[in-house]
Amino acid sequence: MTAGSTIAVVALAVLVAVLAAVPWLVSDYGLGFMVNLMCYLVLTIAWALFSGTTRYVSLATAAFFGIGAYAVAMLVKELPLYACFGVALVVGTLMASLVGLVTLRVSGMFFVVFGFGLSELMREVLIWWEINQTKTLGRYVFVPFDTTLIYWHLLGLAVLVFLVGWLLRRSRLGIALLVIGDDETMARQAGINVPLAKVVMFIVSSVFMTIVGAIMAPRFGYLTPNFVFNPLISFQVVIMALLGGMQRLWGPVLGIVPLILLSELLQVRAPFWYSVILGLIFMVIVYFLPRGVTGLVEDAWETLRRPISLPRGVTGPAIDVWAWLSQPISLPRGIAGFIEDVWARLIRRQPSGGR
Amino acid sequence: MAALLEVDGLTKAFGGLVAVSNMSLAVSPGEVLGLIGPNGSGKTTLLNLIAGTLRCDAGTIRIDGEDVTRLPNHLRVRRRINRTFQLVRMPPNLPAIVGVMAGVMYGAEPKPYKEAEYEAAGILGELNLLLKAGHRLDQLTYIEQKRVELARALATKPRVLLLDEWLSGLSPGELEGGMSVVWSLAAQGLAVILVEHVMTAVRALCSRVVVMNAGLRIAEGPADKVLRDAEVIRAYLGDDDAGGS
Repeated sequence: MTAGSTIAVVALAVLVAVLAAVPWLVSDYGLGFMVNLMCYLVLTIAWALFSGTTRYVSLATAAFFGIGAYAVAMLVKELPLYACFGVALVVGTLMASLVGLVTLRVSGMFFVVFGFGLSELMREVLIWWEINQTKTLGRYVFVPFDTTLIYWHLLGLAVLVFLVGWLLRRSRLGIALLVIGDDETMARQAGINVPLAKVVMFIVSSVFMTIVGAIMAPRFGYLTPNFVFNPLISFQVVIMALLGGMQRLWGPVLGIVPLILLSELLQVRAPFWYSVILGLIFMVIVYFLPRGVTGLVEDAWETLRRPISLPRGVTGPAIDVWAWLSQPISLPRGIAGFIEDVWARLIRRQPSGGR
Repeated sequence: MAALLEVDGLTKAFGGLVAVSNMSLAVSPGEVLGLIGPNGSGKTTLLNLIAGTLRCDAGTIRIDGEDVTRLPNHLRVRRRINRTFQLVRMPPNLPAIVGVMAGVMYGAEPKPYKEAEYEAAGILGELNLLLKAGHRLDQLTYIEQKRVELARALATKPRVLLLDEWLSGLSPGELEGGMSVVWSLAAQGLAVILVEHVMTAVRALCSRVVVMNAGLRIAEGPADKVLRDAEVIRAYLGDDDAGGS
């Protein structure tokens, strides 16, 4: 291990330790905020693990988050909480395998729409089930699993998802996904089993989302299908990842923090404006920030590292003026010149025939 | 020498258009087989069928006696068939070496990340591209792009190599370099199929030539003899020129 990477590991360990100490350092409100932040951190990094490398935009985040949360809500009276998490994990894995096998053969737009449709379908099916079979809508999750524990579990999961992402970069699967994202035909020609690589990564990513949902269930206390299969979750995750930028593993973090702050500010007082601003941010990213905030940071870093070109002082402008004066002056060509130009253009427009 | 690649009765139709019809050919290790014919005669489709980029409708493909007709593209790569594309296909946004590493890591002799990095650098070095390893595709010149793609193909340790107009569009100097690369690959025992319009290269490199027209094989034999064949001249130039030259 080089000195640089030792320092990086130590710095990260300190960062994790500080984050682990957060429950003792902040108020209850602050902790609630941090839980929300961690929740979206894991969701977004997990999303970027799959969609950032393969460039398959997934809107199925809410589906898996919802599966996790609702599995816990349905089972929490019968099973201990960790057993519920286990069941959520199994259900999430099965669902992701099924969805992966079915959908990853379709590409681009269809995959996006399918992901969105999946979470809507899950929501409607669960509503139907609850109304017609169990005659309830909405479930209570009352377990001795307080906000501090939720926070620590999410932090653990965040460390895990970063670890997976970091290991992935230098692994066989990581290289395969990078190449698939850039050129699928070439990936096959390099010997990569393209569908398998995509399905495996989709499962890993979705399982993280499912577990986040499961851990968050006790936090909500009361939840309905409408609440946990909320498409806003999927959209927020996409916008956070794009705003942050996905060329770096830590990129999405730069998108998560500002958007969570914004949602804290607006979602209670003016939820309508939150959606509007989210939409505007999305447009700004697409038009002006294709590489996200990470791109801005990298550009700024490049500028800082570049050697400064010395100012040219007073001599500079003087030289410029002299250079301008010493050019031959082109006389204005008047109306005749204009007619000449139009004529030239008309002649060029003549059909040249038989090309 | 026994044939390494044997193609028998290969047929592919796109709707009503039969692009490749009942094509058979065989290539031995160390042999360079020329595959020529006018545009649209089905040469590239035939390569697509052999490499597994497309599935054939009928016929068999054997490599070293093993039937690979039903295998998907990536498994044929592991059975040591690889190719280059007419329009270079490499990841456009990644450093050149990443595509080559993917070839090493998923090819016939897979290696872990670190070793793959060394090996990919070695392959790029042999093709005089080591200094370009970190460049993206659009930062490379045309000839460099073609060589990087060849490096990706070689990274999977092929025994059968299909080159789709790999020598086209090069300057005379570059052509000579490219030809010596193909020559040395054949000398290492690879079976090469060369789809090419550059007749200098076909004459110099190929011991045998197969001529296709409209999906059919219209001639086969030693390069000099086939290229003089009136039928071939007719396919390329039309009936009027068939008597001359």
